[in-house]
Amino acid sequence: MTPVIEVRNLSFQYEDGTQALQDVNFTLNPGETVALFGANGSGKTTFVLQLNGILQGQGSVTICGMPLSKDTLQQIRAKIGMVFQDADEQLFMPTVLEDVAFGPLNQDFTQQDAVARAKRALAQAGMCNALEKAPYHLSAGEKRRVALAGVLAMEPEILVLDEPTTFLDPPAQRNLVKLLKSLPQAKLIVTHNTRFASALASRAVFFEKGRLVADGTVEEIVQRYDWAYSPLEETDLRYSAQRRF
Amino acid sequence: MHHVLLDQWSQQASPLHARDPRAKIIALGVFLVVLATTRPDAVLTIGLYAALLLAGILIAGLPVGGLLFRAAAILPFSLTFGVISWVAGDRLRAIGLVEKSYLSTVAVLLTVGTTALPALLSGLEALGTPRLLVLVAQFLYRYLFVISEQAQHTRLAAACRHGKSRNHGRVRFRAAAGALAMLFARSYFRAEGIHRAMMARGFAGGFKPLKPLRFRAADGLFTLALSGLLILVRIP
Repeated sequence: MTPVIEVRNLSFQYEDGTQALQDVNFTLNPGETVALFGANGSGKTTFVLQLNGILQGQGSVTICGMPLSKDTLQQIRAKIGMVFQDADEQLFMPTVLEDVAFGPLNQDFTQQDAVARAKRALAQAGMCNALEKAPYHLSAGEKRRVALAGVLAMEPEILVLDEPTTFLDPPAQRNLVKLLKSLPQAKLIVTHNTRFASALASRAVFFEKGRLVADGTVEEIVQRYDWAYSPLEETDLRYSAQRRF
Repeated sequence: MHHVLLDQWSQQASPLHARDPRAKIIALGVFLVVLATTRPDAVLTIGLYAALLLAGILIAGLPVGGLLFRAAAILPFSLTFGVISWVAGDRLRAIGLVEKSYLSTVAVLLTVGTTALPALLSGLEALGTPRLLVLVAQFLYRYLFVISEQAQHTRLAAACRHGKSRNHGRVRFRAAAGALAMLFARSYFRAEGIHRAMMARGFAGGFKPLKPLRFRAADGLFTLALSGLLILVRIP
């Protein structure tokens, strides 16, 4: 089986000298869902931004068999749909329909096809009653759904979700789990929410100081790195302070 | 948020909203030229232009008070130069600066308030505006909103933490000065986030409108009639 994402020896340094990624190797298979765990600043978001060439480091990134390069950038961005942590950053058009059609129009679909794709994606995300609404009038959960629809309209083969449960209340989180479970794409989910990850992912990887240090089942990783939420005690706080990077 | 008002206005339906953006841009260009070349003491001509703008606002169904109030944002700048001209003894120029800049701003707001941004930019591009300028305009528009949004968050956060000390005014001024620097830094990072999100969805340097531009006979008639009227009013 050819992996949909194959990353080999990827390293990345920001302009200020911060080594954000160091020799990362990773694969994602078709239909698979993988959770990305790690402390704040451990390199998770930097890693996912490498996958569609928004940031470019040293090493190789291959998406759906295409090596990431200047020539394949637009094709790769159509294959890999990225839902960002802050939905407000993703919704910038005056109406929901225009926002969701933004991607297909950039893929050079005709206006008619772009609208059809947008409507289909909004129906998938359960937001087809919001076509003419302004995105800033939606609730946090609805914004997340529209942001996801904006990506689904491009019919990607891979979904990358960066902290998808941020700003969502528990019912909205449950709805998001249901929605994501119904989607056939391979998924890569950056999250601190282990319950959310357990509900969706069979596999998890752990980032530490820019390195991918563990790969296993969600339960194994959560247990090994003590990554589940528990009542805070003074010792926990001290421990977590020591572990911050 | 207040900054989205123009977007809301541009989504309404009216005979002016229905016009092709190119028709409105051409009419706006004609208006700006005839206004700029009108003598400031031509009260009747200036009055007729103001009346035409008012009629436009009413036909578009935009709030008259709201639009005129927002256009007043230009006054601090034009009044400054107006006062300088007045003090220098050129009273006619002073009056002209203020009235023309204000009416021009009303006309621009009326055009932007009746045309969705992607359509407006497509119209500009179709009329031969260099692509780079169109790009700058679209990002400027988007990022001005980012700054305004951040400013509102910062103001709210500051208001929540303001007490009533004896040096209240000074403390607030110092806090505002610090907040300004933070505001631009935060806006920069937010703008970067938006740009990343746009690139992730295949943005390659141009907004493509959802509805194709169509210059119909009614648009041609609108352009000719309005431009003709504006020139006719200017002639005497």
